[in-house]
Amino acid sequence: MASSGPARAVDTQLSGFATLPWRKIILGILGATISFVVVVGAFKTLTLPQAERYSGDFWVDQVVNGLGQGAILALIALGYTLVYGILRMINFAHGEVFMAGSFISFFFADAYLESGFLNNQPYTALLILFVVSIAASTLVAVLLERIAYRPLRNAPRLVPLITAIGASLFLQNAFRGFFGAQPRGYPLPDILRGSIELFGIKVSKVQLLVFITAIVAMLVLQAFVNRSRTGRSMRAVAEDSEIASLMGIDVDRIVVITFVVGGILAGIAGVLFALTFEQVQFTMGFKPGIAAFTAAVLGGIGSIGGAALGGFVLGLLQAMGPPLLLTGFGIPSPFSLKDAFVFLILILVLVFRPGGLLGSGEAEKV
Amino acid sequence: MRAEVRIGAIAGVVTIFLAAVGLIGDFTNLNLIGEQVTFAGLMLVLPPLLAGYVATTPRIEAGQVIEATRARAAMVGAVTGASAGVVFAAFVVFVDVFGVERVRAIFLNISPVLMDFLLRGRPVLVAAAILVAISTISGTAGASYRVLPDAARRPLGTAVWVTLLFGFLQRIIPIALDQLDVERDWLYSKVTRGLTWPGAIIVAALAAGASVLKQHRGAAMRRAVSIRPSSDGGGPRLTPVNALLLLVGLAVVFVAPHVVGSVISEVLGTIMVFALLGIGLNIVVGYAGLLDLGYVFFFTLGAYSLALLTGATLNTFVGSSAPVIALDLNFYVAIPVVVAIAAFAGVLIGAPVLRLRGDYLALVTLGLGEMIVVLVTSPWLTPLVGGPQGMRDITNAAIGNFGFRDPKHFYYLAFAFVALALFVSWRLANSRIGRAWTALREDEQVADAMGVSTTSYKLLAFAMGGAIGSVGGALFAVKIGSLTPASFTVLVSIQVLGIVILGGIGSLPGVITGSLVLVGLPGLLREFEEYRLLAYGAALVAVMLLRPQGLVPNVRRSRELHEEDREQDKWAGDIAADEHVAPGISPLGEGAG
Amino acid sequence: MSPALLEVDGVTKRFGGLSALNDLSFSVGDGEIVSIIGPNGAGKSTVFNVITGLYPPDEGDVRLRGQSIVGLSPNRITKAGIARTFQNVHLFPNMSVLENAMVGQHSRSKAGVFGSIARTPRVRREEAVIRQRAEECLGFFGKRLAGYRQDQPAFALSYANRRRLEMARALATDPVMMLLDEPTAGMNPKETLELRDHIVRMRDELSLTVLVIEHDMRVVKGVSDRVVACDYGRKIAEGTYEEVANDEQVIEAYLGKRHEELG
Ligand SMILES: Nc1ncnc2c1ncn2[C@@H]1O[C@H](COP(=O)(O)OP(=O)(O)OP(=O)(O)O)[C@@H](O)[C@H]1O
Ligand SMILES: [Mg+2]
Repeated sequence: MASSGPARAVDTQLSGFATLPWRKIILGILGATISFVVVVGAFKTLTLPQAERYSGDFWVDQVVNGLGQGAILALIALGYTLVYGILRMINFAHGEVFMAGSFISFFFADAYLESGFLNNQPYTALLILFVVSIAASTLVAVLLERIAYRPLRNAPRLVPLITAIGASLFLQNAFRGFFGAQPRGYPLPDILRGSIELFGIKVSKVQLLVFITAIVAMLVLQAFVNRSRTGRSMRAVAEDSEIASLMGIDVDRIVVITFVVGGILAGIAGVLFALTFEQVQFTMGFKPGIAAFTAAVLGGIGSIGGAALGGFVLGLLQAMGPPLLLTGFGIPSPFSLKDAFVFLILILVLVFRPGGLLGSGEAEKV
Repeated sequence: MRAEVRIGAIAGVVTIFLAAVGLIGDFTNLNLIGEQVTFAGLMLVLPPLLAGYVATTPRIEAGQVIEATRARAAMVGAVTGASAGVVFAAFVVFVDVFGVERVRAIFLNISPVLMDFLLRGRPVLVAAAILVAISTISGTAGASYRVLPDAARRPLGTAVWVTLLFGFLQRIIPIALDQLDVERDWLYSKVTRGLTWPGAIIVAALAAGASVLKQHRGAAMRRAVSIRPSSDGGGPRLTPVNALLLLVGLAVVFVAPHVVGSVISEVLGTIMVFALLGIGLNIVVGYAGLLDLGYVFFFTLGAYSLALLTGATLNTFVGSSAPVIALDLNFYVAIPVVVAIAAFAGVLIGAPVLRLRGDYLALVTLGLGEMIVVLVTSPWLTPLVGGPQGMRDITNAAIGNFGFRDPKHFYYLAFAFVALALFVSWRLANSRIGRAWTALREDEQVADAMGVSTTSYKLLAFAMGGAIGSVGGALFAVKIGSLTPASFTVLVSIQVLGIVILGGIGSLPGVITGSLVLVGLPGLLREFEEYRLLAYGAALVAVMLLRPQGLVPNVRRSRELHEEDREQDKWAGDIAADEHVAPGISPLGEGAG
Repeated sequence: MSPALLEVDGVTKRFGGLSALNDLSFSVGDGEIVSIIGPNGAGKSTVFNVITGLYPPDEGDVRLRGQSIVGLSPNRITKAGIARTFQNVHLFPNMSVLENAMVGQHSRSKAGVFGSIARTPRVRREEAVIRQRAEECLGFFGKRLAGYRQDQPAFALSYANRRRLEMARALATDPVMMLLDEPTAGMNPKETLELRDHIVRMRDELSLTVLVIEHDMRVVKGVSDRVVACDYGRKIAEGTYEEVANDEQVIEAYLGKRHEELG
């Protein structure tokens, strides 16, 4: 066998072009560019000539809009985070869970509008819409778990993710097959039209409903996870499912409950989203889905508080970022770049702070 | 009995699903064989048939495979089929009683045509009884098929699916036969458009015969044609038989576009563009194990950079204008530039994100793919790439006066690039670099500790994958001659991923098979266009659940994907138990606590 | 005097509040076989992880021939000449036995993208050398990893053979120094004795310097030129086997925990 003497030379050339910290250099350039865009863009936008500048009211509106959308994102994001916490998998089809609730409730809303029920008994009607939406979303979530994910519990990580992508595509197109491809106008009960003044700020009634519902839902969830027996079991499974099952917790049941809870929240978000944008379509789950996932990561995936916080922060960033940062550079219609903006945030968070805002700032190891 | 009823009920629900998405009602006139076997009819009998087959899966008890006896199988099949039939018939009765039009107000595809097809003018209860009977027979047939002796089963199965395939290809095979001036009325009827019965019987007989032949002579034949690896560890060595087959294969490939005509050549062109994308993505996903959901990034980059490099013009409302960057390179000069740009972009975007764990990486790449789509549509970049209107007058890659826009010509150009990409990919896979990728995919940290620079090799995979994908984009641009953002969506990424996965992750024959199935079939069966994505989604899920290694698997990859089967093995446990190297996290912790 | 081959100098490594290594120093000279012993959780594997670049140390320095290797990536350190095995065997389970060993040769070969695609004569020769080296390294364990086994996937091997393959793979990196983390764990007495000989042969035949973590005192006694004993991340004794085995502190450390295994 080939070998050399005891004083064999060590490869001591320990530096050189190839060993430069390329990653750090590229990251540094990236970070610098972004800081530049943020600072200069914001400065330029805010110091535009009076005529072109956005008014103060514009920014207030953006804040209100941002928070409203953020609340919806937060509700969806909670679904990602809960499932991730328990199964360590990204439920890519969660956007479709949300879409299902929204879409199915549309048929009820539409029928109620025609029968007049929607405006005669708006509170009952809205309640029914929520119930229907929740039921549909939950059903889809549970079916997903049962058919697509449960058989793959022990498979290599990427397998369930690919399945989830397939399921997402399948669900979208099944809805398209059932109900057609064209967007449908979601009716708004008259009591939700118009806006009111709150502390001198104009807030639309829908936004108010969105807010209140979302906050209540999150508080209930928080209480459920912290106080109830099931909630405690959920946390135990999230901590370590093997130990939890040794302690007599039925892990399968907990997983199903997690999907149910995610489905309920998505169902609520579905109605709120439909009321906000007054439209449903089979593709409507995709972008809010990605945005909500971004929100979950932004807040620190696996953490409930993080998902809520991430939702609101992302909502605000989405509403204020494009006009604030891009207008100053003379980029036309900054809102057309809103989605790109969300993705940019997703990438930046994962690159610079993979643990999220509330996380440790360090990436999970392989 | 409970299990059978359940399986049957699921099949019944599946049939209802098929009806609700329109796969029955829209195809009552798609004749496959004669006027009797229609696609709609097939959709009606297939679920109970499969259910009967599944319900008779042999049980394994104490390590022994227990197959059902024939009588028992027939009984199980009948129960399963009947159960499916009852569920579906109940649905039909419900729709009829409730009123088709009222159901249709919500479920667009539950139409009078569908109901006519199901009821045939009979009273609804009679029709329902007939449906149950059909379903019962189908279930019994599926179950009986399972218990047939091998010698009969294989030929029968082959005969059935080959004949149905011929039925499906009623748009293509006749055209090809016409091109070759072969009389074809005996095979395909001009009236029903499908196979004639005599034709079907001949096809079935030939298929069955081939199957019998394969059963008896298969092993010997395979041995004669298989390529043996040479003993010195170098490349494979060709025997005369191999060489002959290769020559014949090449000849077929070479004359193909002239035999099949423009329409099919066009589909073949698309298949090859996607095969190219698949080969590229396979390097990233299959070799290096990095799930990239944003492959459309490189496709778009390739298409648009080729357009800009070769002097395409922008579409505007009033006519056309030159983009702010307009070079006028020859296609063959531009391609290396495109490749270089894409490889560089791969490294640039790879560097910050490649440290991320698998599923995060997937999402980030998805984001990148979406971003480039948003960017090419945005008003901001309109002066460069034309925004929603896009670009036109893209080079046709002419050599001399021989342009490649014509589908029959494009075929050769695409084929050349596919062959090149296959070669590159195959050589890389079987080299030191391929080994490093495999090690990286199997265990990143250990690969690092064994001297493989994980970052470099991930970047290399990204760059190589990106380069090949960009060529796919460039060819696509040449093929259609104009670009609009509508062609560049996340669906491209998912489609390519589907090709790689369905074919078999990490397997080059798999990529080719995948693109033939996922691009070729929908391209040829235009009437199913609407259902393409539905089928994609279902296929992705089904493949992952039933056959994660894909249709034409890569041996090692399929071992990896079945890792869970070895869970009891102590060794798999050892790896999982090494928490020192991979500390767990505890989510839900701080947020909930 | 030229510096020792490997110097671990005042290394501290903390995990949260716990100091897995606490100001640990020792050195290993050319051609030596040094054993690290210590009760469970003493920080032995952590030393290996710090030396091989898997964990950055919080304080202190690790030098190879006088040059600091702290901050280098694991693959650079392997290239510099340190090879290792893992306490819980880590092979590439779905690669064949031979391929596993061939991966070891990675850092000693240089075929690039273009060479690999064109398969130039140089690349082909290199590939032949890689294969030959890998076979030689497998051959170090006699017939155990030879013949038909070379083409089996690694996961199909017996436990002891997996350990051997891991060592063969490490040998294939052409190291100057070999780090073995509990190489005899899970082996039966006969296999353990065989392995003891292998360790000695690594030095005598392959001129390797060996640093080995071992619980089996017969092995430690049989192979070690020197023994370093650790507890709670500190070095508590160092010297010949006899010196360390009779050291008060060492006996103390083991008495509390695993007295029975000493001696
Ligand atoms: N990645 C890690 N994260 C947190 N703690 C760790 C990590 N790696 C090691 N530790 C802790 O450091 C201490 C030393 O661990 P180490 O594995 O080095 O012990 P050891 O001496 O090899 O023990 P054994 O004989 O069991 O192999 C232990 O308490 C262990 O829990
Ligand atoms: Mg240890």
